[in-house]
Amino acid sequence: MKKQTALTILASVLVLTLSGTGMAFAQKKVRLAYVEWDCAAASTHVVKAVLQEKMGYNVEILPVAAAAMWQAVATGNVDGMVTGWLPATHADYYNSFQNRIEDLGPIVGGAKLGWAVPSYVTIDSIEEINEHAAKFKNRIVGIDPGAGLMRLSEQAMKDYKLNRLQLVEGSGATMTAALSTAIRRNEWVVVTAWSPHWMFGTWDLKYLDDPRGSLGEEEFIHTIVRKGLKKDMPEVYNLLNNFAWEDPNQLQMVMAWDQQPNSDRYENAKRFIAENEEQVNGWIR
Amino acid sequence: MPRIPLGQIIEGAINFFVTNFSFLTIAFTRVMERVIAFLENTLMLLPPWLFILMAAGLVFWLTRKRGLSIFTLAGLMLIWNMQLWAATISTITLVLIATLTALLIGIPIGIVAALSTRVNRAVQPILDVMQTMPAFVYLIPAIPFFGLGKVAAIFATVIFSMPPAIRLTCLGIQQVPKDLVECADAFGSTKWQKLLKLQLPMATPTIMAGVNQTVMLALSMVVIAAMIGARGLGGEVWRAIQRLQMGSGFEAGIGIVIVAIILDRVLQHLGANKH
Repeated sequence: MKKQTALTILASVLVLTLSGTGMAFAQKKVRLAYVEWDCAAASTHVVKAVLQEKMGYNVEILPVAAAAMWQAVATGNVDGMVTGWLPATHADYYNSFQNRIEDLGPIVGGAKLGWAVPSYVTIDSIEEINEHAAKFKNRIVGIDPGAGLMRLSEQAMKDYKLNRLQLVEGSGATMTAALSTAIRRNEWVVVTAWSPHWMFGTWDLKYLDDPRGSLGEEEFIHTIVRKGLKKDMPEVYNLLNNFAWEDPNQLQMVMAWDQQPNSDRYENAKRFIAENEEQVNGWIR
Repeated sequence: MPRIPLGQIIEGAINFFVTNFSFLTIAFTRVMERVIAFLENTLMLLPPWLFILMAAGLVFWLTRKRGLSIFTLAGLMLIWNMQLWAATISTITLVLIATLTALLIGIPIGIVAALSTRVNRAVQPILDVMQTMPAFVYLIPAIPFFGLGKVAAIFATVIFSMPPAIRLTCLGIQQVPKDLVECADAFGSTKWQKLLKLQLPMATPTIMAGVNQTVMLALSMVVIAAMIGARGLGGEVWRAIQRLQMGSGFEAGIGIVIVAIILDRVLQHLGANKH
């Protein structure tokens, strides 16, 4: 019993001293979460590089699942992220956390959701899928059930009355794996897709037309920060608020650098900073 | 039929705990993060070759099996060669802390459950929930309490891996032959004497089997834990599958398997030996 009390006291002393030093350290440390998507990784590394190389902060970036990323910003566990897909993909997360986060607006537009097929597939519109259901093996290859893209895809199944096909749930990884297999065998396949995504650089793909607009309009990638960041770290807030790509092509360019074998994302981010000084200085001002 | 608002009740409870107790868990997280970082840094101080030699030596000293020590040597060299050394150290640290915590909590609970039918009846359904609830369900709510990263991962791993330690400890003690227990009673031994001198030693092989399972379950959690930022070998797997880099996914997966085999064989041997 005595030992236990002593341990409790020791532990509380430890907690107090360490949380004290923790505070002191936290001053110059920024934590960002991201999802291991190429676009997210490219944006996050550029922000990290600007904060470290130009502003003297120490930045920790954490690759996590999308739900974890939103939850962490909402609880203030990380300072922010540059991977909020709105208005459709992350709509569910945004709606549940909107009172506990601050939306700093888009860093890039021109992002898109849709259904994609290899370019050798001879149809061009979602409306034609039903007639060729058998060639597609009666399935549309989807991603994780939590993604907004899947909710929209379910809607599209109804809108286009695709009763001869099934929307298969999986994950981003299983989707790209199915796509890769089908392309290797020269088979027909339709996948739920979004861009920017590396699969468009790797294979020759095309989006199917969506005349009913079931899969949503243009998507924007937003910067989302925790409440109170403006007060705690005005400089960081200012940078995150100003950070934006000039256009989707600029982001695609950095993503292409990251796709090179043995390339280092942080080095690529530094290269971007060096080659676009004026734009980067504009973010810091 | 009115819908039972089970989800709302649970969410309300979680929010209540977050508002009232998260300052404690967050302080705990800060301390744990330092402890983990300290352990990792200490292990990383050793040059890999020295660590590998020491590990192989330790395995030989514990098990006296030449084949297993050679496997340890070769397996860890392979991990080092695949440039997964830091990730492996990080995973081993995480699994060690999670397993020790699970055992420190689980074995005493198992003993109490073995000695009291009432406790046993209360514990069983909780164990069922702990083992079968998909880990992701409590990973996300754990973030407000423990933040992203290793501490939340350890929390999830402990919950997931503790049940076998409890169950098998309980089972081991219950399986001690009745006549032996009666014999001990007849000689007038106290409850503690009976437990320490008879029941626990007799139950050791079963308890060690539970320890073994706990370690294996903890290792199987590393990929799920990576989804909330635990990094390590699980992080490498998680990244590779998200990017369809099957080669590096398998490399990191093989790393996990190597660590698992070494730990499993050593623990199995220790369990069999004590009998």
